[in-house]
Amino acid sequence: MKRQIPLVLVFIFGVLLAIQYFIPSEPSQKGYEFVLDWITIIGIFAMVLGIWSQIHVGYYKIRHRAEDWKYSVVTMVSMFGMIFLGLSPFGGLQGTTFRLIYTNIFIPIQATIFALLAFYIASASYRAFRARSAVSTVLLVAALLLMLRVIPMGPLADPINKIGSWMLLVPNLAAKRAILIGVGLGGVATALKIVLGIERSYLGKD
Amino acid sequence: MKHIKLILFICLSLCLTQAIVAQTATDPPAETAPAVQPPAPPGNVILKDLPNDEGHGILVRWDLSPDDGAGRNTVISYDIYRALSPSAPDSLWMNVGTVVLGTKRYSDKSVEKDAPDFLPKKTDLYYRVVAVGAGVRSTPASAGPVQAYDNWFNSMKMPELIFCIVFLILTVRFINMAKRGIDLYVRPLAGIEAIDEAIGRATEMGKPILYVLGIGTAGDIATIASFTVLGRVARKVAEYQTSMIVPCCDPVVMTIAQEIVKTGYADAGRPDTFKEDSVYYVTSQQFPYVAAVNGTILREKPATNIYLGYFAAESLLLAETGVLAGSIQIAGTDQVSQLPFFVVACDYTLLGEELYAASAYLGREPLLLGTLKAQDYLKAIVLVLMVALLALRVITGADVISKPFDAPWW
Amino acid sequence: MTSKTAMRILMAIVALIFLFSWIIKSGSGVSDSTFTNVRDGFLITFAVFLTLSIFSFLYHDNPFYKFAESLYVGISAGYWMCYGFWSTVVGNFVPRASRSLSEFFHVPYQERADHILIYIPIIFGLILLTRLLPRIGWLSRWSLAFIIGTTAGLNLTRYLRSDFISQVSNSFIPLFVDWKGAGDFINHISLAADGQFIAILSNWVIFVGVMCGLVYFFFSKEHKGTFGVASRIGIWILMITFGASFGYTVMGRISLLVGRITFLFGDWLNIL
Repeated sequence: MKRQIPLVLVFIFGVLLAIQYFIPSEPSQKGYEFVLDWITIIGIFAMVLGIWSQIHVGYYKIRHRAEDWKYSVVTMVSMFGMIFLGLSPFGGLQGTTFRLIYTNIFIPIQATIFALLAFYIASASYRAFRARSAVSTVLLVAALLLMLRVIPMGPLADPINKIGSWMLLVPNLAAKRAILIGVGLGGVATALKIVLGIERSYLGKD
Repeated sequence: MKHIKLILFICLSLCLTQAIVAQTATDPPAETAPAVQPPAPPGNVILKDLPNDEGHGILVRWDLSPDDGAGRNTVISYDIYRALSPSAPDSLWMNVGTVVLGTKRYSDKSVEKDAPDFLPKKTDLYYRVVAVGAGVRSTPASAGPVQAYDNWFNSMKMPELIFCIVFLILTVRFINMAKRGIDLYVRPLAGIEAIDEAIGRATEMGKPILYVLGIGTAGDIATIASFTVLGRVARKVAEYQTSMIVPCCDPVVMTIAQEIVKTGYADAGRPDTFKEDSVYYVTSQQFPYVAAVNGTILREKPATNIYLGYFAAESLLLAETGVLAGSIQIAGTDQVSQLPFFVVACDYTLLGEELYAASAYLGREPLLLGTLKAQDYLKAIVLVLMVALLALRVITGADVISKPFDAPWW
Repeated sequence: MTSKTAMRILMAIVALIFLFSWIIKSGSGVSDSTFTNVRDGFLITFAVFLTLSIFSFLYHDNPFYKFAESLYVGISAGYWMCYGFWSTVVGNFVPRASRSLSEFFHVPYQERADHILIYIPIIFGLILLTRLLPRIGWLSRWSLAFIIGTTAGLNLTRYLRSDFISQVSNSFIPLFVDWKGAGDFINHISLAADGQFIAILSNWVIFVGVMCGLVYFFFSKEHKGTFGVASRIGIWILMITFGASFGYTVMGRISLLVGRITFLFGDWLNIL
């Protein structure tokens, strides 16, 4: 009962959805839309579990005065504060304070974290330049050629530009195709393993 | 002199009269001009249920009007009309589409029930096609009745169906072979072998293992692939008695991951050591999630970071922070655009399909190796097809068929 | 001086700068209302504080980063919860579930015969919540099975076209573009980007690249001999691609800094 019913559910819904792809008729399309809707609605219930998990972890830290417990207080207060402001029927997502917090706190942090990438790509480039093997040297040379495109190189600029663009167009396309063909196969294999019940670790032990 | 003037005047008057007469002859007044003749109607209208659809489409085909590109060459476009009765008054014939000259077919399709041109299924419908010229219209060419039906198979998806059947047959065959004890060879994959070492390293160092499932939802196949690896990693972590941190970006993913890790611990015979809080939800947004995971990496200093699943711009943010923390890093994703960053910043990267193969490698169970072998066979089929078409070119001189699966040759 | 004392001094300095900036920014506000000026002064100072706190992470983990991170995660979780509530519960579920609830939330009620089906996901959702009750927590696997089953089913067939069939199909490209014999070809060899030579070379690179890339992804055959050579070419092609993509992205990523620099030096310090 604990494992059999879930396995049957996986098989039935897996097979139905796989077959549905080939059936254009109206009931089939409706069924597809319904299932997508259902997943979204179940997602809302899962959100309760997510928030519960967060409260659980935060509460545990605060209660046992674990290391950095004060920051858990910050997270809890800001989360409940946002929930209070965002769910209040007077303002909701368009409430003034809710919007102010979103634009003046959330957005600047978001932009800054994204901007950290500028530093990280620099440090990653440095690491790439210490190529350790023939394969990583190939990567380095290709990366260098593309990076050189933005530096004024005099008479070399034109050929470097052309080779760079060619690399972005041609070998890139070949590699992407090879990877995508593999990904397509791997994805189908994984889905098949799930539907046939070959992979079932998510169903628990007993 | 007087006569000369008179003769000149008469001549001039005659010339002018002649000119005016000539002018009016070539440019007759509008009110007396005969009307431009309407083009001849298109011929032989054939109606058919639109194939491969949900039953709200009709395919209308016709022969071009003799005046389309030939004859008087007056056709500019064709108007297509639909009505529920052949004797409906003109006002009830709805214009459902217009196509330019030279076109011989039109797919009349309207699914939305509330739309004014909604096309009902299983109802007698009548069509008219009218050739349109400049301000003139041909007499309509009519046809009907026709009914639109639900179709129960989309023949355009035949390649997918054939693929699925072939894949299924191959998988079942290799699974049976593996079950019979026939050894299926798999080549070593450095990234997978590193997982075992990494867990051992974590045990020696007394540090946890961080497992990141990416920012995908449970609906992303890469996340599902990552789940299959997580189960095996959790089992090994439990066997080695190391700890594990799994921060999640989606509540459904978290719930499934909790169940998987719990199962892994139970499989290793240590269900009591599983802590539910080790698999926790952070937030569903990409960058807040990254901020929190980065903080965890620098604070907990995990011995190993495993990033498997769907990743976007955060790949580099995570992997570089991991480098700062001195962790061994193993990554894998099917996102081609993020692979370069993982390749540069991580010690091992599982490229595309290798992510999907990882669980078979770690589990070494015959059932899983069987699917791996089936994948390889399909790749072999693709390779053979490519070479065969090249050979065809060399032998016959005809260039290879372009896009063989787009045209419904079947 | 202990690190704790040093940190306290640093915090005091940050607090002072914060106050100073708040006062200056409030004073330079453009609104007629003092409250708005003081509020905006605080918000811009706070945004600067958070920006610098996040950047401080590059040095190492510290209380400022921890604070910004915790605040950010809390706000995000709260925001996401509210967004999910308004868009999915109120926007999608309520209009189909109940007339009175629709009126309460001021959303138009959609009367449809198939509304009864909306209760199926609710049942699955409630079953999912049994996870919170240890005795019957195993029931939640039914919901997980539904989610996993449907997504596996969707993935089994749906991406085959984009990820496999289209890719295979597009790999069948003409390998002898405008071929009029070897003599003609040699006479007209040119490195011009639109020339026949480059077109043929590119198509061959794609053709061979895809083949060798696929060979690299063979798992059940040892990469030795000819197979090994092809696999090696495959990984080289992959690495050229990764290198090129990496190099191409560098400038784009560095330009991400521009926005934050403009904010700090322009909006805050007014020196840009």
